[in-house]
Amino acid sequence: MTGSLLAFFSKGALQRKLGAAFLTVGFLSLLITPWTASASPSSAFGHLLGSILGPSVLLGVGFYQIGFSGNVPVGRLSATDRRLGVAMVVAGVVWFEAMHWWTLTPTYPDEVNRSWLIFWPTMLLFGFALACGMYALVGQVGDRRVREQRLMLVVASFLMALMVMGLTMDGPSLAKERFAAELLLAAADLFGVLVGAAMAVLFFAVVLYFYESTHVPVHLPAPTEEQLQQAERIIAGNISGGEEE
Amino acid sequence: MNASNQSASFVRTALWFTVPTLILVLSVWWSTSASVETGVVRFVNAMLTSFTLVSFMLLVTLFAYGDARRRPTAPLAGMVFLVMAGVGLTMFFLSQGDLLMEENASVRAQFLSNIVRFATTSAALVLATVVVGGTLLASLLNTPVRTIVFEEE
Repeated sequence: MTGSLLAFFSKGALQRKLGAAFLTVGFLSLLITPWTASASPSSAFGHLLGSILGPSVLLGVGFYQIGFSGNVPVGRLSATDRRLGVAMVVAGVVWFEAMHWWTLTPTYPDEVNRSWLIFWPTMLLFGFALACGMYALVGQVGDRRVREQRLMLVVASFLMALMVMGLTMDGPSLAKERFAAELLLAAADLFGVLVGAAMAVLFFAVVLYFYESTHVPVHLPAPTEEQLQQAERIIAGNISGGEEE
Repeated sequence: MNASNQSASFVRTALWFTVPTLILVLSVWWSTSASVETGVVRFVNAMLTSFTLVSFMLLVTLFAYGDARRRPTAPLAGMVFLVMAGVGLTMFFLSQGDLLMEENASVRAQFLSNIVRFATTSAALVLATVVVGGTLLASLLNTPVRTIVFEEE
């Protein structure tokens, strides 16, 4: 936390570097908690981070490769990079699916990681909601963006299909009843987080509004006739421009 | 786009964002007839944790705001308001009985558990955003360059 605050809010370059170093050390410490701490929610979260790091990096770098091998004016990547990006995205998706439907499910300490049961349904549910929202947004702000709209529908349908499959078929380590229960709890988490964040932003806006309204500038009295005449003399003396030579 | 169109556009996007998800969740809930109580406890815990942590993050930005506007008491004013709001919300929810407690024995354990769950949920939100945003960005950047055709030509 200290590292991220220093990295994002410090003005000096040295403090920012120090913040970035703190952040890195903190993240690495979190990653090794399954070996350094006893079984707890924190170490389960560290285990989850380690488990999803590989496919997440594949997805992030893959999308970057695909995007920046397109029509970008500067620093365009090659067609090979694009194919590599597609392969990385496919590998990332398959890896995540194998974590639900195959034996790669994160297990900590000797059962399915509790954090994974929160993470996976939340990711599917929010991805579905976001894809639906982006479908509407692209249609409204975009010009001739039918292809992107269709793509968002495909993403939403894919995520929906994954949820329906999880709800109707047992996985090797996760029964459909358990997945349904976790999906409902993920929905409660998701709406709770969004409502809480919205309330915080609302209170923040109220604080700023209150603070700004208590510090309005002091109103000066209207100028007197004498002051107006003096201003008139000064202005007249400065706009004549003198004689042309 | 005028103001009424903008608000209509915002409402439509918000509806697309929430309604399909709500329909899906309600269908699952209807078909499994799961307990509402557990969901409400999770919702309240998530809301309070999110409010507390996001408020803290926003409060930190008040230092930058106060510095930029030459108003050093801005963070203090923000803290007073948020503490008042936090105390009010906490008292309200604590007065509802054992609403806040899940399987944890103490408030401290519940609070730490909430923070870890918030971090897990945040990681899920970030990854979902990467997937949807990455797909959209990749498609937008791979659109063929459009040429403007003038009628005179």
